[in-house]
Amino acid sequence: MITAEFLCYRNLAIDALSIKPGITTIIGANGSGKTTFLKLCAGIAVPDSGTLLIDDALPRETETGWVNEFPDRNILFVNVFDEIASPLRFRRIPCDEIDSNVRACAETMGITHLLKRAERELSGGEKVLVSLAAALVHHPKVLVLDEYDSHLDARSLAKIEQGIRTAGADYVIRCTQQMDTAIQSDYLLFIDSGRITHAGTPDLVFPILKDTAYYPVVWGCRWSESH
Amino acid sequence: MGVPMVRITLNQVYAVRDQWSLSASGTFNEGVHLVSGDVGSGKSTLALMMAGLLPLSGGSIEKTGITSGMLSLQFPELHVTGLSVAEECTSWGVDPCKILEAIGLTEKKDISPLSLSRGELTQLHLACVLAKDYDLLLLDEPFSSLDCEEKVKLCARIGQKSQGITIIFTHEQNILPRVTRIWEIVDGTLVDCGTPPNAFQHWHHVPSVIEKLTALGSRPDNISLDDLREAACRIQG
Repeated sequence: MITAEFLCYRNLAIDALSIKPGITTIIGANGSGKTTFLKLCAGIAVPDSGTLLIDDALPRETETGWVNEFPDRNILFVNVFDEIASPLRFRRIPCDEIDSNVRACAETMGITHLLKRAERELSGGEKVLVSLAAALVHHPKVLVLDEYDSHLDARSLAKIEQGIRTAGADYVIRCTQQMDTAIQSDYLLFIDSGRITHAGTPDLVFPILKDTAYYPVVWGCRWSESH
Repeated sequence: MGVPMVRITLNQVYAVRDQWSLSASGTFNEGVHLVSGDVGSGKSTLALMMAGLLPLSGGSIEKTGITSGMLSLQFPELHVTGLSVAEECTSWGVDPCKILEAIGLTEKKDISPLSLSRGELTQLHLACVLAKDYDLLLLDEPFSSLDCEEKVKLCARIGQKSQGITIIFTHEQNILPRVTRIWEIVDGTLVDCGTPPNAFQHWHHVPSVIEKLTALGSRPDNISLDDLREAACRIQG
């Protein structure tokens, strides 16, 4: 369980929160605190006060995969293979194991054809796919994804959604402005001005958002489909 | 005297890079155009070529009546030149007070634009771009990182444009403006799908919500959120 108590950092304030294993998606306005919360979950930032624990451990003591909302800020290496291999090389995994893991991960993400490419030649969406592969390749316990889907087409998203679900992470914490992505979550958090105002399954949260732009038209079609 | 006609015509334009290629032919007349395509299909490449910022591997681009143009890049951070949010507005030749008040960033006027969240930076960038009228406006992934309310506002702003050519290159599926014509890149070729709603029949990248509504017997008239909601209302009664 991810637990937060009296958590304060910048504009974010959460008195109490529990997140079960599975896929949790955070939605809300620009500047509402979504990225701030994700950075705390990934251990990139530490709270000013209060606690955030992942299965009773600090985020910085937890194996985490992270994808930044700015695709260029994820990139450390010149070519794609080296980028995806980097988390494994940092762990001094044997070379043949690295090679097979990188190729398997690239296959899952549908980017085998990019492995020899230079990162600077990639499109925005391709950079995100490479970043995702680098985050997934070492099978982290926690996967933190900041608007990874904003440069991806629907087909790529469907493919990687499966990859994310089967990657073995106990917790996937992500934020999105694509409600098609939010629908496919176990748990939704709606953040407004640094406060979590709605939390629960999509079935609970979307009806509350019915009169807002966050309510997916496709959600309203579900009733019609079932009758 | 009538309003001068604006038009951009792609004459067998192509781009080649290693095993990858893109070919494009067609005429974009006045109105709002949507260009869709898979990741890496060449949407940004096409936008850069149409803006004259990338040399063509072949073919030609003919612009008629276009005296001003703007390309909004996929990554707003690449446009940043100001050291502060207010300076960034000034660098676009727009009034910082007016722009920042409109997008609710007045309190952040003195911080670096690169300290904004990506959504806020996109809002700032688009507000500066849309403050002026251009005969040719190329928007590469303008909805990326915008929150849903801001996407709706951007659609309204694009819908208010009464003249010129606006071409939107995007993956966005749910919150889009009404468009005049739909295009897509399939297997390395730009394809003219036609005008909505007939275009939906030929559109490989048709949003799943439109497919769903059509399957339920209520095809939307266009791709805007209002059109989708109206179609959903017809089903739900």
